[in-house]
Amino acid sequence: MKKVIKLTVNGMEKELLVDVHSTLLDVLREDLGLKGTKKGCNQGECGACTVLIDGNPVPSCSLLAVKADGKDVLTIEGVAEAGKLHAIQEVFNEKGAIQCGFCTPGMILVTKKLLDDNPNPDEQEIKEAIAGNICRCTGYAQIIEAIMALAGRKQVR
Amino acid sequence: MRLNEFDYYDPATLEEAVELLNQKANGAIIAGGSDLLVALKQKLQTPNYLLSLDKIPSLKKVKFTENKLTLGSMVTLDDIIKSSLIQEKLPALKQAAWEVASPLLRYQATIGGNLCLNTRCRFYNQTSFWRSTRGPCFKTGGKSCHVTGTEERCYAAFCADIPPVLIAYGARINLAGMQGARTISLADFYNGEGRFPNVIAAGSGEILTGIEIPFPQTGVKSVYRKFRLRDSIDYPLVGAAVALKLDAQNKIEMITLSCTGTASGPVNIKSINEVLRGAVLKPEAIWDAAAAAAVELHPLKTSLVSPRYKRDISRVVIAEAIATAGGVTL
Ligand SMILES: Cc1cc2nc3c(=O)[nH]c(=O)nc-3n(C[C@H](O)[C@H](O)[C@H](O)COP(=O)(O)OP(=O)(O)OC[C@H]3O[C@@H](n4cnc5c(N)ncnc54)[C@H](O)[C@@H]3O)c2cc1C
Ligand code: SF4
Ligand code: FES
Ligand code: FES
Repeated sequence: MKKVIKLTVNGMEKELLVDVHSTLLDVLREDLGLKGTKKGCNQGECGACTVLIDGNPVPSCSLLAVKADGKDVLTIEGVAEAGKLHAIQEVFNEKGAIQCGFCTPGMILVTKKLLDDNPNPDEQEIKEAIAGNICRCTGYAQIIEAIMALAGRKQVR
Repeated sequence: MRLNEFDYYDPATLEEAVELLNQKANGAIIAGGSDLLVALKQKLQTPNYLLSLDKIPSLKKVKFTENKLTLGSMVTLDDIIKSSLIQEKLPALKQAAWEVASPLLRYQATIGGNLCLNTRCRFYNQTSFWRSTRGPCFKTGGKSCHVTGTEERCYAAFCADIPPVLIAYGARINLAGMQGARTISLADFYNGEGRFPNVIAAGSGEILTGIEIPFPQTGVKSVYRKFRLRDSIDYPLVGAAVALKLDAQNKIEMITLSCTGTASGPVNIKSINEVLRGAVLKPEAIWDAAAAAAVELHPLKTSLVSPRYKRDISRVVIAEAIATAGGVTL
């Protein structure tokens, strides 16, 4: 069974004919070619597939594309503006919060939501915000450090 | 792990939804889908169609009256966490919702989906390939249970975080079916069966529409305490919900205790009231009562830890929940 859905993806309106059994992740990667959104566990555990839906971070592997009908989707491709990296991306680069990069799109989108809601999170709030995003490389230290730097806080260790 | 093909319907009224569910065979209700999608990918369920509740506005309502809160089944866990009135009136509900899955999943996960959560087992929640190496167990249509080795029943563990809290609060739920609407106590929704753990899973053809939670009397303290292997994101090995009230002499006037993670449904430990009523809450009394309560739990090896470990941990989790509610340091 197929259905027509409307999505706003990174500010552009799209009308798509999708299989009702496709996840949003598959539609983003395969139909729209937006491969910045990663497929890790494909079952809601790792956060590699995170996108912002109406501003909220959601694992796109756990959401049927038809359920996103009418929604606003932001993927990592839409974070940089006019060819210039977003401040979060810059700081992640500087602080070495990126190693293999597989978790990075999700981490950046979750950070964006966190800082949009609360520009000055403390370390505990940062840890809670990234609890659904697994990183196998950095040990989280540099990621937390990067977000602390963005929040203008000194890390206590 | 791709999804099998299925049809998808998202009717705009409850009446249409109930009718569809009862007319078309082999459908599955999808709320947030956070749990259902994993089950579909693992081919634990192979429905012909999904019935989505997304477009039924009445299921998203939150209503506070003087003495109770009524939540539509499609209210998300994130909404629950962000409600200051819930924090004030029903703090253990907020705590339990906050402990479910991860922040990402809580934007889509609903309270109805949490109450209707299927039971879990280390032989069940696996890919179809993994399961094929051993052959089906009783829950997946085989003859016997791989945990007990023989029996023709399933002991998979009920691991939802929110039900024990709502049972401790004395919540009731609204169900809609072909015979109309009815309201039952949440405790009666569960049957303790591992295979089809609740009224709806057992085939009543109903939809969970709402949850009514009475506000506790003044002075009642409620707490949810959860223990899991991975703190960032994991189902509970054990969860304990406690509601208690102390009298003017600091003695226990009433106490309720409900546990999750240790049996095929939430376990309400009624004896705790006999054991502790009239007692002054001291660490020793709490540890004794928790030990007595833990004996009533009979976990089996459905997760990666041994039943003995689970019982030991239950004792600690229960003691901590009672102590926190009573304002005692253990
Ligand atoms: C990685 C991961 C970690 C998780 N950790 C936890 C955890 O720690 N604690 C916990 O409790 N849960 C956990 N979950 C399970 C799940 O995310 C939550 O229980 C969530 O609240 C389920 O809600 P949902 O709306 O997504 O349900 P869905 O997935 O849509 O549905 C779940 C089940 O309930 C049925 N159902 C849903 N709504 C209704 C209704 N209104 N009427 C009748 N039947 C209905 C569905 O048919 C399905 O069988 C986890 C899931 C994942 C993927
Ligand atoms: S408890 Fe037994 S029957 Fe139930 S899922 Fe586990 S192995 Fe299967
Ligand atoms: S790929 Fe979606 S959470 Fe892991
Ligand atoms: S940088 Fe490799 S997983 Fe995070």
